[in-house]
Amino acid sequence: MSPLPATPSQTVGPFFHDCLLRVDRCESTAGDEGGVQIHVEGCVLDGDGAGVPDAVIEVWHSASFARIGTDAEGGFSFSTTRPKRVELDRGTMQAPHLSIAVFARGLMNHLLTRIYFEDESSSESDPILRLVPEARRTTLIARRVADESLTPLYRFDIVLQGAGETVFFDFRSPAR
Amino acid sequence: MITTIGEIVRGDAAVFPPYLYEAYRSTVRRAPRLPLVEVPLTASELTRPRLDLSHVTAEDADLTRNAGTGGEALGQRILVTGRVMDEGGTPVPGALLEVWQANAAGRYIHKRDDWPGPLDPNFLGIGRCLTTDAGEYRFLTVRPGAYPWGNHENAWRPAHIHFSVLAPSWSRRLVTQMYFPDDPLLELDPIHHAVPDAARSRLVAAYAHDVTQPHWALGWRWDIVLAGPGATAFEAREQSAA
Repeated sequence: MSPLPATPSQTVGPFFHDCLLRVDRCESTAGDEGGVQIHVEGCVLDGDGAGVPDAVIEVWHSASFARIGTDAEGGFSFSTTRPKRVELDRGTMQAPHLSIAVFARGLMNHLLTRIYFEDESSSESDPILRLVPEARRTTLIARRVADESLTPLYRFDIVLQGAGETVFFDFRSPAR
Repeated sequence: MITTIGEIVRGDAAVFPPYLYEAYRSTVRRAPRLPLVEVPLTASELTRPRLDLSHVTAEDADLTRNAGTGGEALGQRILVTGRVMDEGGTPVPGALLEVWQANAAGRYIHKRDDWPGPLDPNFLGIGRCLTTDAGEYRFLTVRPGAYPWGNHENAWRPAHIHFSVLAPSWSRRLVTQMYFPDDPLLELDPIHHAVPDAARSRLVAAYAHDVTQPHWALGWRWDIVLAGPGATAFEAREQSAA
């Protein structure tokens, strides 16, 4: 059967807030039972280093899903449980990570990235991170910025363009 | 439309727009400039975010009355329906569809939309529903108006409805816009034009007289085809590896 032609993407534009960020939006913390809470904060920045005030990011791991809008300075923050290692395929494990999608006015298709953690030793051997040019891997690793609080705090900026540009992925079907 | 078009595209370049499309000015400082890193899909992308769907009600799909005022939105009442499918034509049930749009006068209820088009107190312009077992969705709303924006001199967006599709596979996430045929503004719109020529018409709904209800509402049909493999691809790979 010949494939049906896929539907193209379009930008979320500037007016998505009432819909995508409604108070009773569909999120889930179902995968978060019993885990260790972590807190992540950062900024979405454009090619001029300016905060992107009309972006929305989606964060997901295991069965936990959340949507967060950026503030007037492009900042965002969220809490979740520390993700566990997940399988890449039989016998190969990935380092703990959060899957991230970035939507904004001016993005004609959402961008996909991942948050790894600097205090997680398995990141060094992660099979996806190893496919990233070495000099750019640090853009995918959240820095631990506070130890004194009970909830570990990480910093992760999303640089859309320019110096320190975050690595964005194009996930392709696995070869047969 | 003369414009600088970037080479960075996520997914099939015959389908998806490039991140840099200069005529749409907001892309210029927000498009990544370094190549995307191609990596294989893993369980992280092929499984579904589990959602709490307890808030989704039937009323959410009726934008003409879901403002909670007891009144009805002004404008041409329309039914918008279609199927969400994968590229093999298999329906995608249980997908969360969220829509937002301007009112019949082309005005959004949004603090950043301040052009002098009238607001409608009975229209919020937001809706959502889940696809049925046959992958079908259906919204009752009013036909949105065109609205002006600041992209270039005398710029107007063609009438459109924003669609967000959250399918049972992260890799099939899609946000897009549905347009109406025979809209003269389509030819002038850089956002619509950023889509490759051959794929552009897929964003345009078709008038459907079989959906139109006598003395009630006009019908439009628009199917959504999600690119890429779903969760079953991961399961099949796991089985073949076993």
